[in-house]
Amino acid sequence: MNDYAWLVRREFWENRAIWIVPSAIGVALTLAALFGNVQIPALSAPDSRVLSGVVLFGFGVTFVVVMNIYATWYLLDCLYADRKDRSVLFWKSLPISDTATVLAKLFTGLIAIPLVYFIAADIATLLMAFIVSVRAHSALGGSLWQPDLWLQLQVLWLYLIVTTAIWYLPFAGYLMVMSAWAKRAVTLWSIVPPLAAYLLERWFFGTHWVGTVLEERALGYLPHALRDNAGHGAWVTTVVGDGTITTPASIWRMLDPLGFLTSPATWIGVMVGIAFIVAAIQLRLRRTEV
Amino acid sequence: MPPLIEAHDLSKNYGKHVALDHVNFAVETGRIVGLIGPNGAGKTTALRAILGLTPYEGRLRVLDREPFGDRAALMRDASFIADVAVLPAWLRVDQAIDFVAGIHPRFRRDRAHTLLSKTQITGKRRMRELSKGMKTQVHLALTMAIDAKLLVLDEPTLGLDILARRSFFDALVNDYMDETRTILITTHQVEEVENLLTDVIFIDRGRIALDCSLEDIATRYAAVAVADDMLAAARAERPFFERRTLGKTVLYFERSDLQQLANLGELLTPSVSDLFVAKLSGSAA
Repeated sequence: MNDYAWLVRREFWENRAIWIVPSAIGVALTLAALFGNVQIPALSAPDSRVLSGVVLFGFGVTFVVVMNIYATWYLLDCLYADRKDRSVLFWKSLPISDTATVLAKLFTGLIAIPLVYFIAADIATLLMAFIVSVRAHSALGGSLWQPDLWLQLQVLWLYLIVTTAIWYLPFAGYLMVMSAWAKRAVTLWSIVPPLAAYLLERWFFGTHWVGTVLEERALGYLPHALRDNAGHGAWVTTVVGDGTITTPASIWRMLDPLGFLTSPATWIGVMVGIAFIVAAIQLRLRRTEV
Repeated sequence: MPPLIEAHDLSKNYGKHVALDHVNFAVETGRIVGLIGPNGAGKTTALRAILGLTPYEGRLRVLDREPFGDRAALMRDASFIADVAVLPAWLRVDQAIDFVAGIHPRFRRDRAHTLLSKTQITGKRRMRELSKGMKTQVHLALTMAIDAKLLVLDEPTLGLDILARRSFFDALVNDYMDETRTILITTHQVEEVENLLTDVIFIDRGRIALDCSLEDIATRYAAVAVADDMLAAARAERPFFERRTLGKTVLYFERSDLQQLANLGELLTPSVSDLFVAKLSGSAA
């Protein structure tokens, strides 16, 4: 366990962007709250509660989008970078197995990086709520402090981190295989095999199986992990100014952990992911050159 | 006690290219062994196999372990410097020490600090800011602070200037080597290491051309400078290599009764580099 802590720490040393990027977003949002033109419509208390929920969620989404792009890049680069600068020969001179190295990098990409973004988003939204409430003396500022809403967002974040790590394990494993295998242009190489499989299948068989599988994996996360039972009071529509906003009535009712964990698609993905990770470990054992 | 490294029928192919061709050798505890050969002879392949970096055919035991399947455990008792340029550019000196101290049970932090305090290098420096010679000092300090039974060095001074080379080998011999340790060095620069070696293994085109201790070289090999009038008689003794120099011909012999050759001319023990040239040119002819 101690070895894994050191291996993850080493990833943070090498990839300082892991914490610099979310910190920069947080600082930018805080500065916007400090010096931006805060215009808050006069709203009733329940309406401002909804609006503040949307605001908090919107900031969360900003972090999530950047985090996904960064984590993808990280997984694609992590095993390739060691070979490119030949430092793999230094790491392999230490009593750490290649299995531990690959698993530590996988953990960094799927869990540690999202957690850093989660903490940054939390600190940034708390700061913003504080600043806006002081500046505007408004219902919005005050409502951003609602503990219930805040707690719901915490649970949503943690739920998303765990379930996306499980659902996208095959993608993460595939990226690591490419990272351990490619001699150059890792990003390009990672696109070629699925694209080639997709095109060859269309030309020779006229079928669409590869495309469907990839699409279901890429887009299937939300329907598998979150419940969308509109009509059961899960969604509410609020009039804000001239428009309307549709929001979940409660985040608790959206989470569907049991459905997610009992879906065959989840576990098929996990098995494919494990197969890719085993392949990445085997490549790491054998490949020391780019 | 079994040898520290034992290779039996060790082979490695890259496609059709045979890098190691059924090689046998052994390395005993307490020796400083030079694995010497021209570029592409199979030195690095042999080292990679010994260090568990590559799969191979045949039988190989290092510190009583199978290196490829058991590299992580092997590296608790063995360490290596593959090339001085492999410390990553982003790594800080203090991070390197913290990391190795954190994961290596035989690393002695105080020793690393003592070694580095003799240099100009401070902990906050990143590898990208250091010269090649300074990086070597960092890597050597990290490695020498590990209480390893076996140290493997692959072309350790490649790209270093003469001062850095000299201090590298001085540190190795004076501060590190003792009777419990074993060092295996590969190089194609024979002159640089021949004074510190106890044994040499010559490797050429994937095969062992010579495997001998330095004491044994004196009893097994001789170079005889022969004047022209004695040349025919000397050649009858079947030298394995000859070369012209300053009006004389130097003939190289391998046999157990070297004193029999004393009447042909002055009898000398060849240096490792001379023997290397003689052995490898001789086998090529």
